[in-house]
Amino acid sequence: MLKRIDELNFYELLEIEPSATPQDIHRAYDRIRKVYDPNSIALYSLFSPEETATIRRKIEDAYRTLMHEKQRNEYDHRLRDQQDLPELRPIPQPVPPLRPAPVVPDVLPEPVVRAAPPAPQPPATQPPAPQRAAPAAERKIVPPAVVTEFSGPAIKMLREQAGLTLRNVADITKISSRYIEHIENEAYAKLPARPYLRGFLVQYARVLGADPERFVADYLKRSASATVERPR
Amino acid sequence: MIELQDALRKKEIWAVGGGKGGIGKSLITGNIGICLARLKKKVLLVDADLGGANLHTTLGIGVPEMTLSDFLARRVENIQDVIIRTGIPNLNLISGAQDFLDAANPNFAQKSRLLRHLESLDADYVLLDLGAGTSFNILDFFLFSDHGILVVLPEPTAIENAYRFIKSAFYRRFRKIVNNQGIKDLIDAAMDQKNTMGIRTPFDLIERIKQMEREVGEILELEVLKFKPKLIVNQVRTKNDIQIGFSMKSACHKYFGINIDYLGYVEYDDCVWQSIRSKRPLSVEYPYSRPARCIERIVHNLLRKEQLTTSMLY
Repeated sequence: MLKRIDELNFYELLEIEPSATPQDIHRAYDRIRKVYDPNSIALYSLFSPEETATIRRKIEDAYRTLMHEKQRNEYDHRLRDQQDLPELRPIPQPVPPLRPAPVVPDVLPEPVVRAAPPAPQPPATQPPAPQRAAPAAERKIVPPAVVTEFSGPAIKMLREQAGLTLRNVADITKISSRYIEHIENEAYAKLPARPYLRGFLVQYARVLGADPERFVADYLKRSASATVERPR
Repeated sequence: MIELQDALRKKEIWAVGGGKGGIGKSLITGNIGICLARLKKKVLLVDADLGGANLHTTLGIGVPEMTLSDFLARRVENIQDVIIRTGIPNLNLISGAQDFLDAANPNFAQKSRLLRHLESLDADYVLLDLGAGTSFNILDFFLFSDHGILVVLPEPTAIENAYRFIKSAFYRRFRKIVNNQGIKDLIDAAMDQKNTMGIRTPFDLIERIKQMEREVGEILELEVLKFKPKLIVNQVRTKNDIQIGFSMKSACHKYFGINIDYLGYVEYDDCVWQSIRSKRPLSVEYPYSRPARCIERIVHNLLRKEQLTTSMLY
């Protein structure tokens, strides 16, 4: 059947099967994000800048929802209720009802990390989504915590918030899970030389949807100061 | 190779278009023809670029004596008489019109006579090389074919024209299906991107038609799904250029609702330019060059009804 963009479910939007693995989703997201980049010439003369912005926002929503195991299960359930998911993903047990509060741990590992105010609502100028897609559109996406400094524990918290295990990150980035653990534990001595570490950090930042530049700068700064201060 | 032989027995007509001029339509058509002929298929190339024919040049043939204009002007009765041999076994050519101005714009009777004769020809594959632009004649040839192939370059201008070509082609197809004059007028109006009715995408148009006549709208909806042009990206220089084919596929699906098959890409190489300069076909002069291999791969995809998948990017 013909479907408008705003009627597409997250799987159709990312052009993946409902059975896609986190790795598939990440790849599809990486690709689709480039397709709908404001400078993408493949869109030239088709979509207006506002339309592109709307699509991009939806792609982000789709990625964040599907990468989070729990949110994805809830989403699948809703799709199934609307009979929009013909091919089912095996889901082991019933999923608890929607949790209203964003998933921010109560006890934060470090004072530098604090929860963000809720993300600003998209501008009201958007046309109302048609009935069928409404639940997806209304859905509040858990705002990612705003991190003032990308320290090891902060990174770990971001990862857990995204519902990713060390294994998931390792699969996506192809970085050994041991190194990812060292990064999170700030075990600087066990990490590789700076240029390699920088590469790892860029990869990791992309997975978390963080700004790679800030992510890398923060982390390297911390690592540099820690290395200097270390008693000899 | 052998399994390809039985891929098809029936004659197929392929049309190669793309909207913009100078993007390699003739070169690709000619070399696809050579590849097919090498697979022992009987191939007829038809230069349907009635205004600016030069398919014969990409095959290394001088200005031919008999052309399509002789047929259109009824100087010869049978289309068999304008077929010329190319010197490559199994490959024949009907060269495009050269002389009189009218030939660029054949009237309806001439066009239907041509299409009728093309259907009666004895060949495994008939390849139509279309001209630039989106005139009705070009669109009709494109829609008449079994497989429409679009050529684009990884450049905004070519992509813009390709989208316009797709849009024009299927709006023209819509127009042929419906009988109601009111709906025909609506389709004509929708062709204008800045129309006042707020019809921007094919979805808007079908919705509007459904309000007028529900059944017609549903027929057109099915028609959209049946319309499956194929895409070739020419003059690819980087991996990102290859990616553009997938991006266009995605954008077309989301904007027009149509599924494009991404057949393949042709790499950029100076040997193409050299082969044109020496007036010898690329696949003959440089059979092992990268562009020639790319075209072979495209032919294989066409015969096997396959297309590129995104997994090749990783």
